[in-house]
Amino acid sequence: MVAWTLGLFTYAFVMTAIFPTIRDNPALKTIHSAYPEVLRSLFAIGDMTTGVGYLRVEVFSTVSPLLLIIFGALWGGDLTAGEEDRGTIDLLLANPLSRQRVVLEKWAALVTGLVVASLGLGLGALVGIVVFDLGVSVSTLTAATVAVCLIGVLFGSLALAIGASTGARGLARGVTTVLAVAAYLLSTLPDLVDWLRPFRPLSPWYHALGTDPLASGFHLWHLGGVAVATVAVLGAAIVGFNRRDLGT
Amino acid sequence: MEDARLTHSENRRATTLQRSGAAAEPTIRFHAVTKQYRGGGGVDEITLDVYPGEVFGFLGPNGAGKSTTIRLVLDLIRPDHGEITVLGLDVRRQGIEVRRQIGYLPGELTLYEKLTPRALLTHLAHLRTGVESSHFESLAKEFSLDLDRPIKDLSKGNRQKVGLIQALMGDPKVLILDEPTSGLDPLVQQSVHGQIRRACTEGRTVFLSSHVLSEVGQIADRVGLIREGRIIAIDDVTNLRRHSAHLIEAETDGQINLDDLRELPGVSEVNLAGRTLTFKAAGPLTPVMSMLASVDLLDLVVREQTLEELFLAFYAQNHAPS
Repeated sequence: MVAWTLGLFTYAFVMTAIFPTIRDNPALKTIHSAYPEVLRSLFAIGDMTTGVGYLRVEVFSTVSPLLLIIFGALWGGDLTAGEEDRGTIDLLLANPLSRQRVVLEKWAALVTGLVVASLGLGLGALVGIVVFDLGVSVSTLTAATVAVCLIGVLFGSLALAIGASTGARGLARGVTTVLAVAAYLLSTLPDLVDWLRPFRPLSPWYHALGTDPLASGFHLWHLGGVAVATVAVLGAAIVGFNRRDLGT
Repeated sequence: MEDARLTHSENRRATTLQRSGAAAEPTIRFHAVTKQYRGGGGVDEITLDVYPGEVFGFLGPNGAGKSTTIRLVLDLIRPDHGEITVLGLDVRRQGIEVRRQIGYLPGELTLYEKLTPRALLTHLAHLRTGVESSHFESLAKEFSLDLDRPIKDLSKGNRQKVGLIQALMGDPKVLILDEPTSGLDPLVQQSVHGQIRRACTEGRTVFLSSHVLSEVGQIADRVGLIREGRIIAIDDVTNLRRHSAHLIEAETDGQINLDDLRELPGVSEVNLAGRTLTFKAAGPLTPVMSMLASVDLLDLVVREQTLEELFLAFYAQNHAPS
């Protein structure tokens, strides 16, 4: 967790440090419009010569949410399924604890870890924004960081739920990653594929990041949707874990 | 040594019988418990009562269903049907209350590798509430375990000590020990047996599993034999010992009177091939030995019946035409 936090801090800071060379390169002002539409919307390529545009493309649109999702999936998938796999679950659950309490406490640890890692990301970006003068406001940076954190928590919780319901750590991590990529595509592709548009609200990625929080700040209804989905997934984790024969 | 053990065991058996005679409620009660796994294995219609102050030995080969039965009590796995109660509490519906009364040693013990025994035991004591660190410290001293060496650096025997200490600490009313002495040197085994005896003289209940006949014989009052998921016999240790015979192979010059030998109590399956005499002797060995001593004895091998052979004996008995 410390490594992830430091890594995200460093990543965000280094990316902002590169910004001045991008901004001062006049060719880049127009290059984004030369990309085909499909690439522009898929990889969120936009105007990289403004601080907001640059930070959105390089940090907040894909890389940092993916990193936090991977962090959440690796850890969430291991929380109960890893204990079953290693065999320590007997030692833990032979104590006077309910399975529900075990899931909730492990989930709380996961959320804490993701919040700390997100703080690393946000602080790294903040320091860079100030030092290299990116002109991004603290409130929209906070909104983007919260959005990225929430999407990490959602998919980390999903990995926990799959792991708790199946006992299979690899399955939990794999399915979560696939679903995260699907959510990403469902958020970005409808710009190009009209018939996908009605399904876009199904993508939690869209609710967290499709609203462009780095430019437009908090969208509480959308973030609330992600939070509700997280609670539902957590409930599924408890139910799934409660029903099972463990460590068999 | 053998006699002393028998006396000890018989004394405790008498105590147990008195207690159960006073219509004591069973501490652990299995009623028609079945758990089948999709890939095969599991247990079938287990019905069994274990009483307060008793050491119940659950004996069977690996894979017979011992660990399955034990993990059902801890609610780690759920039965297909049947009911298990501990101290009158249902293990499914009142699992937390049940586990508050149980000290459990898993059969395939895995510990948190990154911790030291002290950190792990402190954590577990905290989860149990009301367990003082002084208690696991004194147990560690008795088992000569270094509490501050990381678990990842510990040998199998030392890990087993950690597992035993966490089960024993806090003096739980019910001890459920899955293969408690596996991997332990004889000296520590004696300490563990001492702890088990202390627990039952305090009126607590011990349910232990083993695939080693001699261990169960030493420590248990009653024994349940399990094979392929079914309990095939439940008996007092003394009765089990009566079934358990010595297998004797003697090389003689052939002058022994086989009919006299056959007449001795407990002797069966007498066979003479060339100079090699083999037979089975249940019960006291002295008459057999004095008869053998009267002839020229070139070689003598006496061994205790293995668990497998004991099972076969029970099987033969259970399947005998009536």
